[in-house]
This record gives sequence, C-alpha cells and structure tokens, in this order.
Amino acid sequence: MDRAEVTGFGVALAGHAALLAALTFGFTVAGNPPRLPPAMEVSYIEEVGLAAAAPVPSAEPAAAAMAPVMGPSEDAAPTPTPAPPEPQAAVAPQPRQKAPGTRGAAPQTRRRALDIDLAGVSDGPAPRARAGAPAAVMTGQAAADIGSAIIRQVQPCADRQIDPGPGASRIVTPISLRLNRDGSLAARPRVGAQRGIDDENRRYAQRVADLAVNAFVSCAPLRGLPQDLYDVPRGWSNFTLNYRLPG
Amino acid sequence: MRISWIIAAACSLTLGAAALAQTPPEPAPGQEGEDGQLVVDVTGGRRAALPIAVPHMPTPAASDTPAGNTQALGRQVAEIVANDLRNSELFTPIGPGGLNAVSFPQVTAPDFPYFSTTGAQNLVQGFVQANPNGTLTIGCYLYDVAAGSELTRQGYVVAPRDWRRAAHRCADTIYSRLTGEGAYFDTRIVYVSETGPARRRIKRLAIMDYDGANHRFLTNGQWTVLTPRFAPNQQTITFMTYQDERPRVMLYDLDSGRTRPLVQQPHMTFAPRYSPDSRHIIFSMAVNGNTDVYRVPVGGGAPQRLTNAPGIDTGGSYSPDGARIVFESDRGGSQQLYVMDADGSNQRRISFGGGGYATPVWSPRGDLIAFTKTGGFRIGVMAPSGAGERILTGGGYAEGPSWAPNGRAIMFTRGASSGQLWYVDVASGATRRVPTPLGGSDPAWSPLRE
Repeated sequence: MDRAEVTGFGVALAGHAALLAALTFGFTVAGNPPRLPPAMEVSYIEEVGLAAAAPVPSAEPAAAAMAPVMGPSEDAAPTPTPAPPEPQAAVAPQPRQKAPGTRGAAPQTRRRALDIDLAGVSDGPAPRARAGAPAAVMTGQAAADIGSAIIRQVQPCADRQIDPGPGASRIVTPISLRLNRDGSLAARPRVGAQRGIDDENRRYAQRVADLAVNAFVSCAPLRGLPQDLYDVPRGWSNFTLNYRLPG
Repeated sequence: MRISWIIAAACSLTLGAAALAQTPPEPAPGQEGEDGQLVVDVTGGRRAALPIAVPHMPTPAASDTPAGNTQALGRQVAEIVANDLRNSELFTPIGPGGLNAVSFPQVTAPDFPYFSTTGAQNLVQGFVQANPNGTLTIGCYLYDVAAGSELTRQGYVVAPRDWRRAAHRCADTIYSRLTGEGAYFDTRIVYVSETGPARRRIKRLAIMDYDGANHRFLTNGQWTVLTPRFAPNQQTITFMTYQDERPRVMLYDLDSGRTRPLVQQPHMTFAPRYSPDSRHIIFSMAVNGNTDVYRVPVGGGAPQRLTNAPGIDTGGSYSPDGARIVFESDRGGSQQLYVMDADGSNQRRISFGGGGYATPVWSPRGDLIAFTKTGGFRIGVMAPSGAGERILTGGGYAEGPSWAPNGRAIMFTRGASSGQLWYVDVASGATRRVPTPLGGSDPAWSPLRE
C-alpha cells in the first residue's frame, strides 16, 4: 500500500467514523421527546381570549358518595328460594334498605389505614386549576402518572383478595368506575365482559368479579389525583380497571 | 483484518445504539382503552384460607323444640357452619366464640365496622325461629364486610330433626357463593368400620353425615364387608361381602334395611359401582381364572361382559355422562389404568408411570380420574387422557379415593393396619382427618342430598 492509498484509506475511515458517530448521536436524540417548556400562567383578556379555553371552576360541591354495591340489586337481595324464612312483620329481620347515598360516609370510616407514599401529592384531592389557567390535557405521561397513583392505592386491597381455585388467574375482569372529584365512587362499579374464561375456570368467574370490585372499593376513595385532569378527555372521572389474580 | 474489525465494531455499536434508542417503552400503568378511556391494570391476590366471621345466630323468641331450645340451636347452627367451612380447608372461620353477640334485628343490618376489626372479609349471620306448626326456620345470610353488602341469603323450613341438615345447607350456600365450587356439606359417607385385632377384624358397614355426625351401623359384623358404594339416587348401597366365605356383590336398601345379592352366580363377584343413572352396576367376576368387568341391571338379569383380555380387569368406574368406563388391568404385565366406551369397545391404556395404579374413580366433574398409586400407596389424579398425573398425598399409606360430589375434594383411607378416613382438597393438597368412632376404610361419598 503506497502513501496515497494510506492517506485515502485514512480519510475514508475517518469519514465513516464521523458518519457513524453522527448517526448514533442523531438516533439517540431522536428517541427522546423534546422537553416541553414549563407551563406558563397567562391571563386572557375577556374581549379577546377564548373563553372556552380556560376551565371554569365549578361552584357546585362534589356529588355525595354512593354506596358501592356489587352487582345488580336483585343479586344482593334475592328471594329466598328453597324454603324461605317466614318473616313476621313485627319481628322477623327484613332486608336492609339500601338507598344511594345513605352510606356516603362509610368509605371514610371503613377505609383501611393506608400508609402509601404518594410522592408529590397531598392526602386530599390535588388542588384544582385556578381560573384562567390553560386547559389541562391528559398527556401520555400524565395518564401513566395517574395510573401509577391508582395502582399504588388499589394494590394493597388487590393483594388481599384470595384466589378461589385453579385457572382463576386467567380471568381478566374489567370494571368501569365513575368517580367524584373527591375520589369517592359516584356510581356502582360495573363489571364488564370478562376475558380468559374457559371450561376449567368458568365456575370461578362470578367470584373473580366479586374480587375485582372488592379490590377497588376496599381502598376507595382514591386520593391525590390531579383535579385538573378529572373531567378532561381520558380523565379519571371515568376509567376502567382491569383486575386479575397473579398466575 | 484489523481495520475490518474496527469497522464491524463501529457498526455494531451504531446499530446497538440505534436499537437501544428504538426499544419500545414498557407499558405505562395508565393506558388508553378502545373507547378512549383511561385503563388501569391491577394484578393482585394470594392463595390462602378466606377469613370469615360466623357469630352465633339469634332467635326472635326462645322456644323449646324437640331439637332443643332455639337459643341453643342458634349457637349450634353457627358452630356447624363454621366447622363445615373450616373442614373445607378454604376458610378460616372467626367465631362463633369470642365475637360480639348479634341481636335478631341485626341479622339483616350487620355491624360492618365491628366485623372489619376482626379481620374477616366475609360474614355469615342467621337466625333460628320456631314456627307454630312445629317446624323450624333457619335463616342464613352472607355479607361482604369491606363492601358492606349482602351477597346471598337462604332460608330453610325444616322438621326439628333436620336442623343439622339446614346448618349444612347454609354452609353449602356460603361455600358455593364464595368459591364458585359446587356444594358438598349436606352429604353422607358410607364406609367400613373396623375394630378388633388384625386376624379377627370385625368389619361393619356404617353410614354418617360427612362430618361424622348421625353415625350408625348398617350391618352387624357377622360377615366381612368391603367397597361400599352409594347409588346416585341414594336409595341403595352396593358392597362386597364374604358371606359364607364367598365373595359376592350385595345390594342394601337404605329404606327397608334389606340386603340381597346383585347376581345369582357361582363365581366370585366384587368391585361394584353404579352407573350415573343408578340403573346399572358394573362389577368384576372371576370365571375360569380370568377376571373381567361386567355390567348388569340393578334389578337383576344376565351380566354382560365388557372386557375379555387375559388377566385381572377390575375396579370399573363410569364417567359422569355414563359414556365411558375407567378400570384397572394387569394385561400389560403391571397394574395400569385403561379407559373404554361403556359397551366395552375402544379399550386403551392411559397410565404409563412406574409402579402400579389401582382403584380409579372418575370425578363427578369428568375432568379428572383419581387413583391409588400402588408403588408407595399414594392418592393421585390424572386427566382421562392420562395427562397431568399429580400425586396429592404425602407420606403414609393411602388408598381407595372417593370424590366429593363437587369434584373438588377426595376422601380416602390412610393407614394399612388401622385405617382412618382422610380428606384432601384437590386444588391445594390440604388434608385433614375425618372423625369416626372406630377405625375406618373404604369411604364412599354420597351425592348431595335432596
């Protein structure tokens, strides 16, 4: 190899190395989302600003918590089938009348002592956005943060649920939850179509649905969720919790 | 060569960095569902006995009945319910002793805050009431303590003599609602009661509730008896006896107490078992040195031979749909399990493990076959195809499995010389002893009582 060839080869090698380095750096940078500037608080001028763009805090108090009741009320108080008791009007026990809202304080009194370290959030509802603040948006990161906060609070109660038998861990139970702003249940949890049911575990399906509802209501109300993301699109006012037993 | 290596390394580094940069992120805890909603996945739970509170059951008015005072009955019913749930190995009952008394009006308005302090996840309450017509009403209510809700309720109007059955039915309701399994507490066991030295052992047929209560003997011990089996309709029991030194299959009528031979044959007959519809019995008969499985109508008739291989074919047991029969045979040189269609066709071996297999019993669910592994004498289960063999019992001689009607539990004999009845939960492997007044062997679990 003569000098010219060595020089040429060296230049080519250096060029390739530079190209590779540039590509590597470029890919790495491209993989990270650009940092967004911190949110600014601005004041809109009434005549010019888009009134609908700024959330208007509601003056109405949060709706009263409703008693979490599993399943339809017919299931909760079925008619005695084989040989029903013959209750006497004066003395026989009557089914307790459940009226929505009558147990509004119950979740508070029954709530387990949860020492959950919710970094950066207060024990009560997170402060709501001030008037004039920009409309909150549920970004992917915000959804992940809320999901983590919900899991942290529900997990201790989920862990207390008891596996009824073989194959039950294959059942995934979605429950639809509607919450008040204070994190309490605004409606009965609705059990959706379960997945993963087969001939072996079919007999456990109803029980796993019980466990799914129990996993949530035992640790309700949720606390510390961001108020400004309550009723935005994909907000936590309505969400689905998929529950399953560990395999 | 060196330069080529450097380039290759540089390329690898680049591609690795690129791959790293493009690695998909782990699923976020909060995701977007198909309808645009926030979706959160939670996985949690454990395998453990379920803590359940069972306080004493009150009565609206203390009354004396043939079964006792209703106040005392309320305590006893609660104790039976707690014992049944404990016996299943799936629950840890809290109470009845040590719990706050429940008043009659509180039966349908439980003190959930109090019971949550006991650690109970569920609560059973009820009442016992004497009716003017001489019957008893036993009410049974199941609650979810955390949710503060009622899960189910049942009431039973029974004659005073059946108050224990009402308690078992209450426990069955609780068990089924909380486990998803079928009921089995309101059942009976027929077994061979044993007493005396080994050479002069007295073996009598005995029957009792599944928990050992209401025990009584059906035979007087004059003849040795073996392998009793309930008819699915619970009207008769079939068993083998050595009457006049000749082993033969007998039928015992539970209403009349009368006994008669199943078939009039000079040959040795043994190992009987009913078909699911109670209309036929399959049994083994030794003819000219060859033992085969036969079928005969319960009312009598000519036995129909189902197997014809040289050797000993015995221990037949129907599948719950009556379409197939599992049996044991040594036709292959060792004792193994075989399955055939109910008419004897399509015989095929399903067990291939070391040691022998005996006393196969098809599960009421149809999904498993229980057996005795004769190498070491253990109780095991396998699928009807022979797959998934699993040994359930540990050390100690064990044989003769019999399924609970829900297919979740098995009763068997433990101990070769002085037998005891034991129970094993098929899912967890948890075992416990079943109390009998004397020694016991060959248990057969009845279907659920009507």
